[in-house]
This record gives sequence, structure tokens and C-alpha cells, in this order.
Amino acid sequence: MKFNTVIIGGGLAGLVAGISLQKAGRGTAIISEGQNALHFFSGTFESIEDAPGRITDLFAEAGIGLHYSPGVRLMPMGTFKKAALSLEDISLFPGPKIGSRALIVSFAGYHDFFCQFLAEGLEKQGMQCRIKMLNLPELEHLEKSPSEMRSVQIARTMDRIWESVVREVRILLRDEDTVILPQVFGLQDTSVPSRIRGGIPAQVVFVGTLPPSVPGIRTQMLLKRRYQLLGGTYLMGDEATGAHVHERVVHSIVTHNLGNHFLEADNFILATGTFFSKGLRSNPFEISEPVFGVDVEQASDRTDWYNPEFMREQPYMKYGVICDDNLRPLKDGEPLRNLFAIGSILGQTRPGLGSGGELAIRSALAVADQILKSDE
Amino acid sequence: MANNEFDVIIIGGGITGAGTQRDCAMRGLKTLLIERSDIATGATGRNHGLLHSGARYAVNDPESAEECIRENMILRRIASHCIDETDGLFISLPEDDLSYQQTFVEACRKAGISAEIIDPQLAKRLEPMVNPDLTGAVKVPDGSVDPFRLCAANMLDARLHGGQVRLHTTVTGFIREGDTITGVHTRNLNTGQEQDFFAPVTVNACGIWGHDIAALAGVNVGMFPAKGALLVFAHRVNNMVINRCRKPSNADILVPGDTVCIIGTTSTRIPFEECDGVSVTPDEVTLLITEGAKMAPSLSSTRILRAYAGVRPLVSADDDPSGRNISRGIVCLDHEERDGLKGFITITGGKLMTYRLMAEIATDTVCRKLNIDKVCSTAVTPLPGSGEPSYEEVARKIWEKPSTAQKAAAARLGNNAARLRTRNRLDEALVCECEEVSVGEVNDAIDHLEATTLTDLRRRTRIGMGTCQGEFCACRAAGLLAKAHGCIERERDDLKAFLQERWKGNFPIGWGDTLREAEYTQWVYKHVLGI
Amino acid sequence: MKLQEYTQSSHNFEECMKCTVCTAYCPVLQVNPLYPGPKQAGPDGERLRLKDPFFFNYALKYCLNCKRCEVACPSGVKVADLIQAARIKYDTSPVKWRDRMLASTDFMGHLARPFAPVVNGVTGLGITKTMMDAMFKIDRRRTFPKYSAYSFESWMGRHEKEQAAFAEQVAYFHGCYVNYNYPRLGRHLVKVLNALGVGVQLLEKEKCCGIAMITNGMKAEATLHANHNIVALSKAVDKGLMVLTTSSTCTLTLRDEYPSLLGVDNSGVRDFIMMASRYICERIEKGAELHFKPGFHKNVAYHTPCHMEKLGWGVFSERLLKMIPGVEFTMLDDACCGIAGTYGFKRENYEASQAIGEPLFNQIKAVNPDVVACDCETCKWQIEMSTGYQVMNPISILAEAII
Repeated sequence: MKFNTVIIGGGLAGLVAGISLQKAGRGTAIISEGQNALHFFSGTFESIEDAPGRITDLFAEAGIGLHYSPGVRLMPMGTFKKAALSLEDISLFPGPKIGSRALIVSFAGYHDFFCQFLAEGLEKQGMQCRIKMLNLPELEHLEKSPSEMRSVQIARTMDRIWESVVREVRILLRDEDTVILPQVFGLQDTSVPSRIRGGIPAQVVFVGTLPPSVPGIRTQMLLKRRYQLLGGTYLMGDEATGAHVHERVVHSIVTHNLGNHFLEADNFILATGTFFSKGLRSNPFEISEPVFGVDVEQASDRTDWYNPEFMREQPYMKYGVICDDNLRPLKDGEPLRNLFAIGSILGQTRPGLGSGGELAIRSALAVADQILKSDE
Repeated sequence: MANNEFDVIIIGGGITGAGTQRDCAMRGLKTLLIERSDIATGATGRNHGLLHSGARYAVNDPESAEECIRENMILRRIASHCIDETDGLFISLPEDDLSYQQTFVEACRKAGISAEIIDPQLAKRLEPMVNPDLTGAVKVPDGSVDPFRLCAANMLDARLHGGQVRLHTTVTGFIREGDTITGVHTRNLNTGQEQDFFAPVTVNACGIWGHDIAALAGVNVGMFPAKGALLVFAHRVNNMVINRCRKPSNADILVPGDTVCIIGTTSTRIPFEECDGVSVTPDEVTLLITEGAKMAPSLSSTRILRAYAGVRPLVSADDDPSGRNISRGIVCLDHEERDGLKGFITITGGKLMTYRLMAEIATDTVCRKLNIDKVCSTAVTPLPGSGEPSYEEVARKIWEKPSTAQKAAAARLGNNAARLRTRNRLDEALVCECEEVSVGEVNDAIDHLEATTLTDLRRRTRIGMGTCQGEFCACRAAGLLAKAHGCIERERDDLKAFLQERWKGNFPIGWGDTLREAEYTQWVYKHVLGI
Repeated sequence: MKLQEYTQSSHNFEECMKCTVCTAYCPVLQVNPLYPGPKQAGPDGERLRLKDPFFFNYALKYCLNCKRCEVACPSGVKVADLIQAARIKYDTSPVKWRDRMLASTDFMGHLARPFAPVVNGVTGLGITKTMMDAMFKIDRRRTFPKYSAYSFESWMGRHEKEQAAFAEQVAYFHGCYVNYNYPRLGRHLVKVLNALGVGVQLLEKEKCCGIAMITNGMKAEATLHANHNIVALSKAVDKGLMVLTTSSTCTLTLRDEYPSLLGVDNSGVRDFIMMASRYICERIEKGAELHFKPGFHKNVAYHTPCHMEKLGWGVFSERLLKMIPGVEFTMLDDACCGIAGTYGFKRENYEASQAIGEPLFNQIKAVNPDVVACDCETCKWQIEMSTGYQVMNPISILAEAII
């Protein structure tokens, strides 16, 4: 199969690049080894701070509402974190004082949402908090399973019964100006979070849970659907196992499922993420990039990869593939001509592009622009 | 007797201290155990968890070997729920001198250890993971023992006999009347509360830290800290203990323990200052993997879960201040006889295996000092939780159709798992998915087993000991602990400390899947949860 | 000794990062709280089972073997394989007569086909359904696949000569469904391949791929079938033939389940077994041409069967359909239809089966296509029964569209 561009990695970076190229009429394929880090997405693109019109448009066309308001957001452990561009679900505040009284609501038997920690965090900001557990008969089937009272299973039920949550919360609500709910709404039915907000006569703040992230899965699903609607080919559950490179030009890649049916393209994008996503691989002696074997920035001595303090910044998390100014990865010090790297596989080798979601989007757009320009 | 007065105070919540408290309590003494951290935090919880048959010592230290096999048989009777009767192999590899096997077997027989030379082919059938190149094999009654469970069961039994326990409490000084120790000053490290306790006898059962406690009492015990590093593999590769049939050396014991297996150990003398917070070096990791793979080649391609190290309290004989003549045998010092300090004894040396005997010796000394004439019954009285021949039967006796978590709980708690039966359906929800620990079992450990921190919970329930090393269970359990003790701030710090403790064992082997897991844990806690 | 060689896990289940992604994609979890879920049943459970088989959980039987967990897993863990392998290894309960009957698709087909009109009439009867429900716990609400009055093999026998006349040849593993229930699909494939200048021959003697036996705990029987088929496939491969298939499940079984679940070595033939849609796509990419009927028009919604998703070859069916002039193509969302071979036929699974398929059925109704395209026969029964829409194999649609 021959494409204009083959993208390895179907997470945020890969999808944004794919959508941008498809929109410009380029035939692309995304190959994704399983699902991706969007499943742990907090809902905020870290620190994107300039006018994000191009980004919000891209997401809006996929049916994902973003809003932009530099400030802070409430984290599941009751702390506050800087945030600006976020999914609409995420409430952004100018500062950590978000109200005077809060009603924190969760579900009986649900252990992935941390009411006491939230309450303590808010009380530190001078708020009064009340914690209530809902006993919904519709969730009884989940209680029967010892392991599956998870965000995503609850969310599946909530798509159907969110109205009973609104009803129960209205009954519980006394003089609170803020209601805090776990992020288990709007998995398939994207209108649910805003309808809940509309139904409760107080400020509703959705706060994250342990993974999987419901808004993250929704984002992944909508971006993928948009990509496929634009004609993109998404190969889910396949893995790039090797590449054919001649004179520093990538001709095709080999995948596990397609075997001797190679994926050919004019351009290739490496968006395979870091260690978790297997974009980078490590053994006791070195860190490498498995598909093309391009150069990876790293300390030569393993003991320098880590900070013995868990909460400190970990050096290994900054490592990434080394690229030229056009985000083309180097191999033995020289760039491959038609290969680009985007997203977290860049590590912190490009501090100007930010990190996390911001890095994914910025690098994806930059590379898509370059490919479109070079085609002309 | 006033509330803060006891017959005996035991310092140290390792297996020796817990065993001594149990023995004293069973002989009718009013006991208090003081531990600055949690149960089994020192060498007790930082070894292989090997239920020695004694074979390892048979050639060089017949006395220890005899102690081991005697205690081995006793523990099988009194602590069945802490013990996995796996049997062990002593294998000879092509590089080993096969003639050592004969010397070894004869020494075992002399010590009363049943040691049977078996055909290497049979050894491979019994333990398919053993190095197929083996040239010889001897089968011995080795096994594995869970030190945390054993320690908790001793402490629980002491409590059932009226014993009191103060965990997370440090001894800040001794109370003296002339040349007699009459009590201790203490401070609770969680609450800061200071308190004095009195007793005519105090037992120093602090392992390597007994050196410091003795110094605090003004006496010198010549100890030498020896660090031993070990690796935990992510699943149970072997089902029998595998040893090398040669002179004891580095990394020549591979022990299956619960869901994992453990290779060790190295042996390095370290200065006293380094006893707290020993970590494993890259060289030790390399040595352990390389030697381990010689015994069970598939270890080389098995994920490593963590690296850890313990410090053995080696004691120099009193007439040898140089420390060259080191004993791993049991040392019980009556400081009245030795140093003229009354009311103070030190029990040290020995092994996890021989804790009960150490406790018996220490308790005999205590009773002699108190002029009490009671015989020891710890060798014949089962520990709480013990009794059924297997956890299968425990589980089936308690529940008609035990769930996976109930089966796992039965394996951990023995008969005491019956305490979980009364819990309701919501208690069945899992906190730790790798090791199948339910909300009910966590709450039980908080209610009945004195767990006050996440690390305490880990030792009692195995939360965070599985593949993910606390990725999900740590914050779930933190939620339950927060609810139990009501102090969120403390729990937040506890959670950080727990993650730090897990990371400490991960980064020395931080590559491959371990590094992937660590990265994911970083995301979850820093970016998703915002700790 | 090099440490590099001594550090990466070769135990697939240890690659699990406990990230829980699989639980979000398991169709069974959404409807059956008794199922422990792919994470618990798969890698978590495996670790405990290695400690002691006592930890085997009989609720693993609720797994559909749809493999969506594997497709979703970011770590490449063969979750469903772990579960099926555990069932094979530890489930000691005897195989029920009902399961034995459902699993023996070629034996049943062999018996029933000569009496097809009678059998079809009888299995359609309310009284028969009630009896099957009562006696065998086969759900009475289920519509039974009809048996064909002639077998595909007999049809091929009559056309052997004309097929042999083509210079280029392929072999066709037709599977039980084409042979006993729907020979027309086989004839469609022959028509398309002939149009590409390729003749079709049968394997010397094929047997059922055995997937239903594997999932119903009949490992010994399944292994017999596998060994037989490997011999038959090898003979074709030795002749230099590709072996084409039209069923995604048969294909996955022959290529992947034989080695991973039955331990049957298929390395000599694996790369020569291919879905016909992939083969045709590749021929056309290399310049072969098909001539389409003018004025052909069909609104087609494509459902990727779970096992096609696992093979990663849905893209070929998609491309094939998209290249037909007059086809309006809609890709349906990734979702399981709920039937999973024999699973949905069992009374105890009927409700779950229908609940699993519901989102897919609803989407089909919303799209309202002329026809649903799909490469799996059991999906076809399920979707036709549950939505009333006709379901066709992409090969059949292609056959209809060409001159």
C-alpha cells in the first residue's frame, strides 16, 4: 500500500498530524500498536499559552470542545495545577479559591476517586466541604465485580442514567455553591457533562479519577473518527517492526500484521511515544529507538538515568530522539531525509515545544506544515 | 501494676523481638514491645524468606545445621500458614566439583537432615526450571517462609496473651537506678508523644541496630554489619528452592515465595552509618542476575521486580574484638554477667529460621532474672492462623465458592481469614489487583494487625508487592487509611513515602518493562492525580 | 555471558503495565459482572495461576475470545491467548454435550446437509427451538443457520476441470460455513478470481479449523483437526499455491491459534494463508483489472469482525469495497456483534450476547445501508437476526458488482 505519509503511532500527536494532512488532501495511514497515552489524559494541554485558534478549530471539527483560560485546575489529590487550554469538561479557575462551600459526590464502593484528599485540599483554601456517596441501583451490577468498578465502566452506565445523578445531587445539595463529581461522564454521549452542569444549580467541577481517563478515551475516539471520516487509514493493533531505508531515504515500513505487504510512503512520521508506548526501548546499557534505530539522547551511565528521589524530575523522562531543526531524526549524526519525529518521543530535546499534550500538538502541526510545504 | 509498668520490655519488632514477646507473654509475663518503625522492617523482612533445612550449613557449621532442621520441623507445625513446603534442591553444575556432593550429604545426615541424592533427570522433572546442564542433585526439606506473616502472627499471639505493642515508637533513652536499667524513655514518631515505660528487664532485640541500643545503655556489643543484596523476580519461576551444592557463596539460593521468587545474596561489610537505607549497586545487580541464571536459566528472561538489601547482624565472639571470628549463631548476652549492667539483655545473631529458639533462649534468661519457673511452650503451640494443612482447605472452609481474592486472603491469613467473612459485598472490591487484596482485607489489617501506614499494609497484605509496585493500590489504600485515621495530611506524606520506597527498589533495575512501569507510575501520580 | 541477553522478559504477561486499557474495550465486562475482565483473567491471573493452579477461576469461560483486549493493549500482551490457554490448561470440567454439538461444525454439517430442507424446516420450528432450549440449553430466540442442499465441495468437484484450465492457481480453505451452509460465497470467490485470471482448487481434504472446539474446551479434538489441516495446507504450499480464505475466524485460527493455543507448528504454511480480500487487493495494486457492471449502486456499511481486527486486515476489505464504482462506503465503529461463534447460541449467554451487540445494531439502523459487509459468518447470523439487515461478505458484493 502506498500513501503520501505513514504515521507510526496513533496517539494525540499522530492523530493531529494525520488529520492535518488528510484535511489537505494527503492520503495517510496511521499504525498504532494498541491504544495510547490519551487514555491517561488529564484533560489539559499543560502549558499552551498563546492564541490557540488553529488548535481549537481542529478539535472542534472533531466534535471536541476546548476552552482557553490561563489559571489553575483542581487535581484529584486536592492540589491545584497550572492549566490553560483544556477540554470543556475541565473547570479552569483564576486561582485556587474556587468557591466557599463544596459538595463532593462519589459512588459507594468506588475507590478510584479521592474525596477526602479533595476535601482536605479545598479546606486548605478556606472552603467548607461535605462528602456524600451515592448508592445508585443502576451501579449494582458493577459492585458485583471486585475489580471493575472503574471509571470507564461507570461512565458507560452514566451515559444512560446521568439524569438520576442530577436528581440525587439536587436532593443532597444544601447551601453549597460548588459540586464536585468524578470524571465519569460523557464517554459515548459527549453532551452529558454539559447537561449535568445545566441540571445542577451550582458550579459543577469534574475532577479526574484513576485511569482510564473517560475524557481521554472520548478524545481519542473522536479524533480517530474524524481522521477516518477524512479518509485516513487507521491500522489499530499493529506494530512497525522495521523499515527499508536506502541512502537516508525511508521507502517503506514493515509491520507485524501485514508481513511482506509493506507500507510505502513519501514521508514517514515517528510518533511512537516514550518508554511506556515502546517508542523508546531500554536495556541495562542503552536507550534506543526500535523502528529506525535513530539516535537517542541519553546519559551513558545507567546510574545517571534516574534521580533516587521519586518525586524529583527523572532524567530518563527527558530523553528523546535527536533531530535536526526540521524535526528530522538523526541516524549516526545525519538526518533521514523523509522521516520526522513528533510528540513525546522528542523528550525534552526541544524545550521550546513544551511537553506532554502541548509538545504533541505543536510538533505534529509543525511537521504537517513542513510536509505540505515540501510537497508543493 | 501500673499501666506503664511491665515485667519485660522488648525493643525491636523484628522476628526475634516478636518471638520473644510471644514466648514471654505465653509464660505469663506482662510484656511491651517497642519498635521504631514497623514489624519486620530490618533483616527480618530483607532476606530470602528461606525455610532452611540446615543443609546449607551442614558442612561448615553443623551446630547451625542442627538448629535449623529442628526449627524447620517445628515451624511446619506451628506456622503452617506462613510456610510453603516446597522442598529444595542442591544442584551441581559442570563447573562445580561433584565430589563435594558426598561430603555434603554425609554432613546433612550427621545433622539429622534428610538429604537424598537424586538423578539429575528426576530433578528436572521435579523442578522444570532448573538448569538442564546440572550434573547432580540432592533433595532436602527446604521451604519458604513469609517473614511478615510470621512476625505478625507472633505479635498477634503475644497480644492474645496480653502483650502490648508500640509501633513507630523510638527508644530515646534508658531509665536507670544505679547499675540497673529500670525502664525506657520513648517517643511516638507519628504523634510526637513522649512516654516512659518501666520493667525490671529490658531485651535488646534490634538486630544490627542492637549495637546502637546497647551503646545507649552504655555497653558495647561487637557487631559487624554485612549487607546482602537480593533481587525479586516478577513471578514464581521455580517451585522448589534451588541451591548450589558447593561451599556457600554469593547468589546461590533461589527461593520461590508467594507470587515471586528471590535470588540472593551478596555479602559486603559496610560501616554502621550505612545500615539505614542501604541500596543495591549495579555490580551487585549484575552478579545476582548472572549467578541466578546459572541455577535457573529462565531467570535471565524474567522481569525483575525490584532490588533490595538487608543488613545481617554478625556478632564477633567476645574474646575476639577484631571481628575476624564471626559467628552467625545465636548470641544471648546477659549484660549483668558480662558488663555489670542489670536488667538488660541482648539477643542477636541467629537467623530468621531460628527466631523461635532465640526467643526461647532470651525468655529463659528473662525468667531466670525474674525468678519465674515456667517452661517454654512455643514449640508445640500453633500460631494464630495456623492449623489447616493448606490454604485451599482454609478457603473452602470459610467460603463455599471462594473468589480469587478470598483464596489469596486465605493464603495470607490462614484461619484468620475467617475474620473477612463477615464483611459486606462492597468490601470485596479490590485495592491491589496484582496480589488480589480486597478492601475488607486492608481494613482488617488496619483493625487487627496494627497497620498505620501504607508500608505497614504492604507487609501485612502484599499490597504494592505485585507487578505494578503500587501504581493503583497505593492511592486506593491511602484513601482507606485516611478514612481510618482521619489525618489526610499525614496520609499524603505516607503516600509519597510509599512511592519513594517502591522507587528505591526499582531504579537499580530500571530498564525494560520496569522503566516503562516507572514512567507510567510517574504520569499517574504527578500528572493525573497531582500528588 | 552478556548481560544484554539477560534482561528482557520473554514472558509476555510480564509486559502488562496494569494500565487498564484492555478493560475499557472488553465487550463482556460491559454486560457481565461475573466475568473478571481481561486484566484480571489474563496477565494478573496468570501470575497467580503460576503460583498455584488453585487460583484458576472458572468465570474465565465468559471470555468471548474476541481479542479486542489484545488489539487495544499498548504493551502487546496476548491477553485473550493467556485466557484461552489457561482454560485449556486448568479447566477440568467435562465438555457438555451441547457444547460438543455446537463445536463439531463439520460433523453436524455433514449429517444435516443431505436432509437440508427437512433440517432447515425443523430447526426453524418453534417446537424444535423449545426442545433444543430445554435439552441442550441452546437459546430458543436464536435463528439457526440454514443448511445448503448441496455442499461447496461437491460443486467444486463438478467444476474441477474448468478451474484447472487457468494458468495461475490458488487453493481455497472454504471452511464449514461455505461448505454446508452457504456455498454461494465460495462460488462468488471463484467468479472474482476467475475474472482475475486465477483458477481455484480445494485442499486435498480440509477439516473444520477447530476454533469452536478450542473455545469449548476440546483441545484434543482441535489438535487432531489442526494436525490434519497442516498436512493438507503443506501439500498445497509445496505445490507453490497460496491458500485463500473468506472467513476471518478460520484465518486467525489457522495462522495464530494453532501455534499459540494448540502448540501446533504452522511455520511452514502460515505466511501462505491469506484472506481472499487481501490477495485480490494486492493483485489489483499490481495492475490486475476487474470490469464492473455499469450502474451498480450500493450503500455499504462495513463491520470489521473482531478476528479481522486482530489480523489487522480490515483495511483490505475496506479498500476492496471502496474501489467498486457505485459503492457508498461507511466504516462502522469498532465493536463486537456479540455472537462470538458458538458463545451466543448458549442459553446462558443469550442476553449478554445481544447486549454486547446493541451499540453496533443501533449504529447499523442509524446508517440504514443497503447491505452490511462483513468477513465473518457468525457475525452475519447475529447481525441479520438482530437488525433485519442483509449481511454479505465483501467478496460477494464484489462478485455481484463485476461483469
